[in-house]
Amino acid sequence: MQYPEPITQLIASYMKLPGIGQKSATRLAFYTLGMDEEDVTGFAQALIAAKRDLQFCSICGNITENDPCIICQDTSRDQTTVLVVEQSKDVMSMENTHEYHGLYHVLHGVLSPLNGQGPDDINITSLVTRLQDHSDISEVIVATNANSEGEATAMYLARLLKPAGIKVTRLAHGLAVGSDIDYADEMTLIKAVEGRTEL
Amino acid sequence: MELNKLTVQNFRNYSNLQLEFSTGINIFLGANAQGKTNLLEAIYVLALTRSHRTSNDKELINWQNQTATVSGSVWRDNYKLPLEITFSKKGKKALVNHLEQAKLSQYVGNLNVVLFAPEDLELVKGSPAIRRNFIDREFGQINPKYLFNATQYRNILRQRNNYLRQLQLQQAHDLVYLDVLTEQLVNYGAHILLARKSLLAKLEKVAHQTQQAITDGQETLTFKYVSAIKLTELADLTAIKTALTNKFASQKNRELQQGTTLVGPHRDDLQFLVNGQNVQSFGSQGQQRTTALAVKLAEIDLMKIETGEYPVLLLDDVLSELDTKRQTHLLKTIQDKVQTFITTPSLSDVARHLIKKPKIFLVEAGKVTEE
Ligand SMILES: Nc1ncnc2c1ncn2[C@@H]1O[C@H](COP(=O)(O)OP(=O)(O)OP(=O)(O)O)[C@@H](O)[C@H]1O
Ligand SMILES: [Mg+2]
Ligand SMILES: [Zn+2]
Repeated sequence: MQYPEPITQLIASYMKLPGIGQKSATRLAFYTLGMDEEDVTGFAQALIAAKRDLQFCSICGNITENDPCIICQDTSRDQTTVLVVEQSKDVMSMENTHEYHGLYHVLHGVLSPLNGQGPDDINITSLVTRLQDHSDISEVIVATNANSEGEATAMYLARLLKPAGIKVTRLAHGLAVGSDIDYADEMTLIKAVEGRTEL
Repeated sequence: MELNKLTVQNFRNYSNLQLEFSTGINIFLGANAQGKTNLLEAIYVLALTRSHRTSNDKELINWQNQTATVSGSVWRDNYKLPLEITFSKKGKKALVNHLEQAKLSQYVGNLNVVLFAPEDLELVKGSPAIRRNFIDREFGQINPKYLFNATQYRNILRQRNNYLRQLQLQQAHDLVYLDVLTEQLVNYGAHILLARKSLLAKLEKVAHQTQQAITDGQETLTFKYVSAIKLTELADLTAIKTALTNKFASQKNRELQQGTTLVGPHRDDLQFLVNGQNVQSFGSQGQQRTTALAVKLAEIDLMKIETGEYPVLLLDDVLSELDTKRQTHLLKTIQDKVQTFITTPSLSDVARHLIKKPKIFLVEAGKVTEE
């Protein structure tokens, strides 16, 4: 027997989300049917609003309601430092620390020819133009992930920016704060020793 | 380390089985298709959570059942460690000391095994890729840094080959990014080469002694690492990096034309020389077999040197393939050193008399009795 069409449509929609297969989609669809009408309407409106009312900041590439975003508009922030991240949600993580007060640049990806992402496919050109236009920026901190693609992206940026006299740094790898040395995997330990600091 | 006890439930052709082993040599004796290799496989699976014969875990579950369990008690230094692994439709669950491990990588390493099966002859007779895989797998087991570098290298190589192909087809043009990928390959590749150099030297030393012992001093085994850069002349990481960088520079145009990476440890090979001759081309079947065995046995000693403990040795159908002289020397070499499990359809009188207090298990249609 087939499900009625509205349900199959809903299942198909859920399956477009990452990591959701037919089984989970079916479960979510039936759960949605059991929800209050008000909640379902709110859910649908939130989906549309997120898509319609959000755009990418024309300066840093972060998602924002207004262009430029509040971070780029905030003149009290340190205008000499730009922290480069892979995704918009990395900006949120950094902001939640309340410790970093400089600017951001979102690449929307990482260099990976296997995934069809070369230097022209991620937000690098706009970073270069931005640095040319704002000569007060003196340091770029590359905060890409600690895997080989993240490393290649950082090295690529260093080659591009260093000749222009910009200091390029990379986040340190090491032990997770509050974690026990016993539980760290051996490569994390080796990296932590390599990146040790003097007391 | 030693495996004291093994319990097997609904695994292959066994429904319920409990065995206690000798810390010396254990022999599974029986006709074909009775379940001898299945027992070695159970031990291998208990150690590494996967089989050496299949990548499909479901094949391990007895056809009449839904869940297979292998458990055992491992004796390490001076404490006992219970290990257990369960396979079902939902996947596998691994327990150390009755606690489920979230990551299988945390489970592996509690019981180290080295398996030698007739297919391992390919190590000598087969393609260079088989020897490179052997090197990467074995050195990775011994040294987590090697494993990390080899994994990174493989990823970067796939990216670089893909990018070279795009450059060749003019779908990409940025040569700065190619240089970055080259620099990454040079970095990880140099670490791999340096580790290979030192670990292969240790392996060669032991393999040489083993070959001498098995052949009664008749055969000398040496290794020859074949590479575009001369490893023997390069003492440290910096020197190897410089040599690799120069090699890459000289091959750049060819790489761009061919659209693939032409330099690096993924193109190297290891030759085994017996009395100075490449045994792959000039050795007899027996010499090739002995060489493969000597290299595998050397791996046991290398593990001892690098990790401090001997692994457990699994020999599948190896005895019957060797003449009595080689059998004698093999048994003498492993006796009193490593706990060993041997499968064989028949046991020669020589072997029987040679082995001190062997524990012999008769295997017949999924039932096991002690002789
Ligand atoms: N999942 C399974 N359930 C039940 N029986 C199985 C399963 N997988 C394999 N078998 C049986 O196990 C037997 C093979 O066992 P094994 O490979 O251990 O033989 P062996 O004693 O090593 O023989 P040989 O001397 O030929 O190598 C076969 O008879 C096969 O039918
Ligand atoms: Mg067999
Ligand atoms: Zn912005």
